[in-house]
Amino acid sequence: MKLLRTLILRPLRRDLLRTALTILAVALGVAVVVAIDLAGDAATGSFRSSMQTLTGKTDLEVIATGGIDERKLAALVALPFDVHFAPLMEAQAIVAGIGAVPLYGADLAGAPEGLAVSKGLAGRLGGGKSVTLEIAGRTHALAVGQTLDSGGEFLVLDLAEAQRVMGRYGKLDRIDITVGAKEDFARVEAAIRGALPVSALLEKPGARSEENQRMLRAFRWNLRVLSYISLVVGAFLIYNTISVSVVRRRAEIGILRAMGAARSTVMGLFLAEALLFGVVGAALGVALGRILAGGAVRLIADTVNALYTTSRPAALELTAGEVCAGIVMGAMVALGSALGPAREAMDVAPVEAMSRGAREHRARLSWRRGLVWAAVLAGLALGASQAEATGGYPVGGYVAALLAIGAAALAAPALVLGVNRITKPLVRRQVYGLLAGRSLTASLGRTSVIVAALATAIAMMASVGIMVASFRETVALWLDTQLRADLYVKPAGQSAAGEYPALAGEVQGLLRATYGAAAVDFFHGVPLHFRGERATLGAGDMEVVRRYGRLLFLAGQDRDAILRSLPGRDRALVSEPFANKHHLRAGDRVTIPMGEQVVTLTIAGVYYEYSSSQGYLIVDRSTLLKYLPGQAATNAAIYLAKGADREAVLRDVQLRTAAYGVTVSPNQVLRKSAIEIFDRTFAITWALEAVAIVVAMLGAANSLLALVLDRRRELGILRYLGASAAQVRGMILTEAAFLGLLAILLGLALGFALSLLLVFVVNKQSFGWTIQFHAPWGLLGAALCAVWFVTVVAGLYPARVAARLEPVDVVHEE
Amino acid sequence: MGTPRLELSGVSKSYESGEQSVEVLHEVSLCAEAGTVTALVGRSGCGKSTLLNLAGAMDFPTAGEVRIDGRSTASLSDGELTALRRERVGFVFQAFQLLPTLTVLENVELPLLLAGAAKTAATAMDRLRWVGLEEKAASMPYQLSGGQAQRVAVARALVHSPLLLIADEPTGNLDEASGEQVLSLLREAATRYGAAILMATHSAEAAAIAEVRVRMRDGRIQAIERQ
Repeated sequence: MKLLRTLILRPLRRDLLRTALTILAVALGVAVVVAIDLAGDAATGSFRSSMQTLTGKTDLEVIATGGIDERKLAALVALPFDVHFAPLMEAQAIVAGIGAVPLYGADLAGAPEGLAVSKGLAGRLGGGKSVTLEIAGRTHALAVGQTLDSGGEFLVLDLAEAQRVMGRYGKLDRIDITVGAKEDFARVEAAIRGALPVSALLEKPGARSEENQRMLRAFRWNLRVLSYISLVVGAFLIYNTISVSVVRRRAEIGILRAMGAARSTVMGLFLAEALLFGVVGAALGVALGRILAGGAVRLIADTVNALYTTSRPAALELTAGEVCAGIVMGAMVALGSALGPAREAMDVAPVEAMSRGAREHRARLSWRRGLVWAAVLAGLALGASQAEATGGYPVGGYVAALLAIGAAALAAPALVLGVNRITKPLVRRQVYGLLAGRSLTASLGRTSVIVAALATAIAMMASVGIMVASFRETVALWLDTQLRADLYVKPAGQSAAGEYPALAGEVQGLLRATYGAAAVDFFHGVPLHFRGERATLGAGDMEVVRRYGRLLFLAGQDRDAILRSLPGRDRALVSEPFANKHHLRAGDRVTIPMGEQVVTLTIAGVYYEYSSSQGYLIVDRSTLLKYLPGQAATNAAIYLAKGADREAVLRDVQLRTAAYGVTVSPNQVLRKSAIEIFDRTFAITWALEAVAIVVAMLGAANSLLALVLDRRRELGILRYLGASAAQVRGMILTEAAFLGLLAILLGLALGFALSLLLVFVVNKQSFGWTIQFHAPWGLLGAALCAVWFVTVVAGLYPARVAARLEPVDVVHEE
Repeated sequence: MGTPRLELSGVSKSYESGEQSVEVLHEVSLCAEAGTVTALVGRSGCGKSTLLNLAGAMDFPTAGEVRIDGRSTASLSDGELTALRRERVGFVFQAFQLLPTLTVLENVELPLLLAGAAKTAATAMDRLRWVGLEEKAASMPYQLSGGQAQRVAVARALVHSPLLLIADEPTGNLDEASGEQVLSLLREAATRYGAAILMATHSAEAAAIAEVRVRMRDGRIQAIERQ
């Protein structure tokens, strides 16, 4: 303990700023992981509907594609068992001043008339006697009848009133079933199944929640992996800090060993130092993570809402278990990163008295070995990238990414020496360049680690940047082919992914009679539960799509023939993510519940689609209406006749549908809003990248400061030899610029490799999308310039310290 | 009598230690002339190194005046002092103090590079040739013996033809043979380059090459001997 205090803790106290920078780097790394985990739980873990909380214990639930005919309820109630059936409807209502709130329709027999408001929401409504809400584009003012003593924020209406407000008559979204304690559960379940149409799904409660979680697993998994970037960068920095610590205390270690200290004692001392950084940093990180989670939860919920399903963020919960897990994670990362340098300390011979120059010379000789290992890891990465997904997760892709990062780190010394050699004739003309270049190559081991850490952060930024840009470009191109109609009509108001508010029946007639329209295609969206996953069953007029649309099919598939084959037949198209997720190809047959039947459809073709990773199964409108008669359309596309005045038609449609709460948008507006949604969903990604860069910058500052403090005697000598304070400052800033340049070179190469993995392996295996590769050179260039600038800024403080050293003191202190 | 390169007039230097002031130099007056070697001799702690730092414009006296080539160091800004050192002063240290990251040639070249001079490599090579280490130009400092390292340090100190060369125990870390080589180089530097050499030393052999020997004790000059 005393050894720890004198050899480790005391120097840490003396070097308070560096100690603080290292702890802060660990803290930020852990904070991001904790924040993403907490926010992810809060944003996606609240699928258990508030209504379930309200109705209490439920044993079974019934759902069906396109809803359940409410007449089936009578057959169920007539069953001779002690069973309670609770019919339910569900929709999102927009409450003025509050936003989207779940609205439930339930059997409220005996309760006061009017809207029932949950206690949580009533508080925010300020005790008003009526609530104005917008649903499917229509505004309703409803009197408040009662306040429910229940947590959460939701509204409940009696079923009949709910059907009126939601515009969905005769259909239920779900029936919750509670079986009496004395009943034979299996018998009751069999009887209920017998009373339901074959197409209805009878499930245990929680199945939908599990389905939701399953739907989000790839999204959450990828987000979680991204959140580990900062921690990986932090691990490099701990490695660096402990390496510096070992190098500085080499003489002391030699003396300790000569005095009889065991190797394990020496190793233990340095592992203890790392553990200290890990535990203190992680403890701070957990606290910081809890704060950051507050911001992250909104960003994640936005993405979930835009891409998957309605999610209302739940309260953030940081449990004691999570606190411990966070601290253990920080400690493990710190210990793992320090293992190498601590072992090096253990191997210091008692009589070792090597000069730094000789030691560094040896380091320079090992760059070839590093390069060979880098090639080996790169080869392994290539192999891992070819692996199939494991359980739906792109494990091979991420293993390949880790191996690629390792390869880049091992190649760093060769790069430092190589760039130094190439730039030698150039920098030699400037004394800053000569000294900075030499200093960096002289501290090759340390320089390489900080270059690798910075490069990892830069590579992550570049690769995610390329991936997002490729995705964006692909989506933009796809929107061009997908959005061929001139005007689009949908119910007004917000609706999350997976929700399909219906167009009022009258609207269809009005739109069909649009003057100037060449064709109108009505699209029907219906939530579909397929093989334990969510998807969308869609239907449209395939003849209109064939004549006016530009649906893109996978290579080798004849668009015209496929679209012609759909009307009037049990044939379907599937989107690429749907096909990939369920391993389907053209010609395969799928069985889905529709209405009261289970229908077998032949897949006619697979088309590119980028709006949902859950996927679409599309049939012709005639097929849908055959099985789900009366199913309302959810939006419409209007193709104008040649020569029609689009503005005039737009105004005409708006005028004629004004009473039905619909939004009419020109093609460009829809396209713009789709791109805006896309950009919003990637906001969290950029936030994670930024933190990784900040951690790397802390590392750069920390490392430069260590270099300055270690070389203070040399800096003092320079002053004796006539260097001005400005020249010393310039030299350190040049070193920072060199570090940044090296990191950018390595980071770009690594980033390019990682982007290929993200685009062609991780994305494909996680979400099933084919993305066209597109590197945003302008954006990348600007971002890299900014990173370079910030690296130089990170050198300002170390440069100031270097310039202020007292030459007389530092030269004579040894 | 040669041109005075360094003049110290009534120079005192004190350091604050807690609430006490410790005087390490007391009213020292001294003159070092072009082409001569002046040796400061005395026990450890007598103030030799402090005097060298004042003489080399690395520190300021508490009282009195230091003039290098006729310019008082007290009247100069930090930038002007740096320029003065860069152009007119050279240093040789007991522990050689070569920069471990630079080659031998680059170490010698460094003062010229810092001054932004032209033809730095040729001049540095010329000095290396003079100290007999031309073949070591591409070596790293850790590949040199102590004597070789100090000869490189002498070459570096003279590469910009300084008027004043400050040497702090230049033979302190060397064996006898290497020490003699270094001393003869210093002696030759005075005659060949016309530099005034101010050298602190414990060694009688080193003191023997000096024209002027300044005996110091407790921060004061005890005697100045000329030969």
